[in-house]
Amino acid sequence: MHISEGVLSGPVIATGFALAAIGTVIGLKKLDYERIPRAGVLSASFFIASLIHVPIGPSSVHLILNGIIGLLLGWAAFPAILVALTLQAIFFQFGGITTLGVNTVNMALPAVLCYYMFGRLIIRKGNLIESIAAFACGFISVFMSAIMVGLSLMFTEENFFDVATLVVAAHIPVMIIEGIIAVFCVAFLKKVQPSMLPGYIVPQRVFGIDPEIERR
Amino acid sequence: MRCDNFVENFVENCLFKKWIFSFLVFALFSLSMVGAANAHKVMIFAWVSGDTIYTQSKFSGGKKVNAGNVIVYNQKGDKLLEGKTNKNGEFSFKVPGKTALKIVIQAGMGHRAEWTVPLEEIAAEASGAAGMISTGNSGDKGIDTSKHKVSVSGFTPEDVQIAVEKALDKKLKPVFKILAESREHGPSVTDILGGIGYILGLVGVAGYFYSRRQKMDTHRQ
Repeated sequence: MHISEGVLSGPVIATGFALAAIGTVIGLKKLDYERIPRAGVLSASFFIASLIHVPIGPSSVHLILNGIIGLLLGWAAFPAILVALTLQAIFFQFGGITTLGVNTVNMALPAVLCYYMFGRLIIRKGNLIESIAAFACGFISVFMSAIMVGLSLMFTEENFFDVATLVVAAHIPVMIIEGIIAVFCVAFLKKVQPSMLPGYIVPQRVFGIDPEIERR
Repeated sequence: MRCDNFVENFVENCLFKKWIFSFLVFALFSLSMVGAANAHKVMIFAWVSGDTIYTQSKFSGGKKVNAGNVIVYNQKGDKLLEGKTNKNGEFSFKVPGKTALKIVIQAGMGHRAEWTVPLEEIAAEASGAAGMISTGNSGDKGIDTSKHKVSVSGFTPEDVQIAVEKALDKKLKPVFKILAESREHGPSVTDILGGIGYILGLVGVAGYFYSRRQKMDTHRQ
């Protein structure tokens, strides 16, 4: 999923940086006090997730976890993923510094989209709908990232459909694994810390939580 | 109100600890998998031997690049030749001329790496190779004839050089292989912990700025 240095053309790199900058600014604006530790933990998870590999075909793919990150952080996924990708580029030489913008957008934009698509469905009474939504969130976020990798490579040398099908096909196992992880993660959080999930309606005065504070 | 806040913070903290705990378990779990995992990076290693350039490409972690595109450019950036790696990630080609080479591996899905072969390496090898071609026959027939030469006419300095280079190529081939194997180093535990440390540090910095802003807000009120 990480695009290496020297693969992309100048305009693609510039667009990537511009979009990543916009996303990061919005994300930092929306990152309130309570979400800072959450963003840090998820950023660290993303940083490490790339080391869990599934060897497939001519390449090897790894966990991305951008669905869960998007679900729990919304726009703050941009700065969280940007930080993790920067550190991956420096420490592991995954991707590269010039492709940082493109890689950030490729992974964070699907995360944000998933937040808007599935955020409202996660906190439902029905466990089935919730599980399906969580699975779809994990699955589709990776799918969209794969499509975006195809889109970014399309402007250089390779044919869009070839690359997109290759990347999507290679990531199908990861999509399924991430879907399952998302289901477990959401179920776990619902039990332990439901207020972390989006669309959570604060019960009145439970544990003395003031709805005003929660909304902030 | 203040009391409520305290209770809320306390509850949040307790629950958050659980969360951090689960994260740490996850982190340890991933650390334990690092050894078996291969990293998401491709690399190429090339060396000159005689008139042939050998390349080996792989993903860090040791997985060989199968059917990856190898493209060879000269110093000016013109494409000279192109080929595909075999199952072992190897691709070799004859030295295309006296120029420094840039060898690029494209392993699909945006994976790319390059290796530069400097002009000196090729020039030295090419002259050696040229010499070898002219004297190749006598050399190949065996050491007997050359030994015979010693008694009759002795070695010219060129002969010695060619013989030494040929022997070195042969002897050094496994060394190059080992070098190619060992050049990759996957992310170490230090790298991983370092990265997590940076993230924690950034969380601290963000927390500091927010707390300062809050302090200033309360000050103003």
